[in-house]
Amino acid sequence: MDERISQRVPDWLLERLALGELPAAQAEEIRRRLAAEEGGAARLEALRLSNREILAAHPPRVIAGAIRAKNARLGRDGQRERAPRRGLAWGLGLAAPAAAALLVVALSPGVTQTPSAETTRMKGLEPRLVVHRKAGGDAETLSDGATVRAHDLLQLAYVAAGQRYGVIVSLDGGGAVTRHLPAGGTDAAALDGQGATLLPNAYELDDAPTFERFVLVTSDSPFPVETALAAARDIVADAGAATRPLALPEGLKQTSIVLRKAR
Amino acid sequence: MAIDVQALYESHGPMVLRRCRSLLRDEDRALDAMQDVFVLLLRNDARLVADAPASLLLRMATNVCLNRIRSTARKPEDADEALLHRIAGDDGLEARSLARAALDRIFGREPESTRAMAVMHLVDGMTLEEVANEVGLSVSGVRKRLRTLKERVVAAEA
Repeated sequence: MDERISQRVPDWLLERLALGELPAAQAEEIRRRLAAEEGGAARLEALRLSNREILAAHPPRVIAGAIRAKNARLGRDGQRERAPRRGLAWGLGLAAPAAAALLVVALSPGVTQTPSAETTRMKGLEPRLVVHRKAGGDAETLSDGATVRAHDLLQLAYVAAGQRYGVIVSLDGGGAVTRHLPAGGTDAAALDGQGATLLPNAYELDDAPTFERFVLVTSDSPFPVETALAAARDIVADAGAATRPLALPEGLKQTSIVLRKAR
Repeated sequence: MAIDVQALYESHGPMVLRRCRSLLRDEDRALDAMQDVFVLLLRNDARLVADAPASLLLRMATNVCLNRIRSTARKPEDADEALLHRIAGDDGLEARSLARAALDRIFGREPESTRAMAVMHLVDGMTLEEVANEVGLSVSGVRKRLRTLKERVVAAEA
């Protein structure tokens, strides 16, 4: 599997050429290769024809509406689990430009300290959660029981340890349950294999009191997200919400990490 | 920056759908995956490269499709599809560089997944240099990331 020079211009580059998004020098090279390729010129024309067919079969107004509706459904799902009284900033999950700007600034390059590689390597055979906190220009890995504050920016990761499906939810001292993985949909996420996998969204803590508890629920088989959410909702208002295991059906594993909120 | 999803679909949607079709080989799943790519984009709009989003969209589509391939038990119909399944389901593929990748993601450098790069190189037929250009890594960086895959493919074919 040595590096190979494909005689045929890859579709990927053809698409970018057709859209006028290749740098000038690369576009010139691709055009040259296309000219030398049998049927090369026809491929560009075929793309244009395909564009017309796709847009006719799936009109922009209809598809854009479906995409917006899907996005709104995901947003509503997230908000429904979170008490509406609090202004939670959910990293990339927020559509608001201010929230997006927050994430871009907070996760900008240039920080120097790195979490230990040991913390992102699989330990043992049990699924687990890893929580990093952005602290100034550094990032630190939080241990169970660590103290956090409102507006701390957290990055969650999970270690699947061979489990194929999972859901991450959190409970806090304000009585809110939030889903973190998957971002949307009704089924547990298909987990990435071994090692630590970061969630796509960073998460800014709000001012909920007392604690923030993240729970990873996993299984070898698919299961509904609602199973984990319902179990979390069942205990979130209890005195033992920070520590009590979720009441889950047989076959589901759980592990959690609890962060204590500073006053 | 707000995204005009209708305009973006009109300009780039067919490309995304073709990408999803080529990887998933199923029209319904491809349509659904294509929509998911745009939903992801809406939810990640701060990271959109506004002036040339094709590369980003193609990479997102690749990752969305790989996740779907990984979560289904469909039997591959040909060698390319079998290779895709192997890439999508290879848990060890990301492990070697995982710690580094995790840090890069935390600090916003966002390296492309090794799986997506493997698809670009092995399935799409892009050279290492072309892959490197697309994902913003050095050629040696891409080569290093794919070395594990090479070893696995050789072992699997032995």
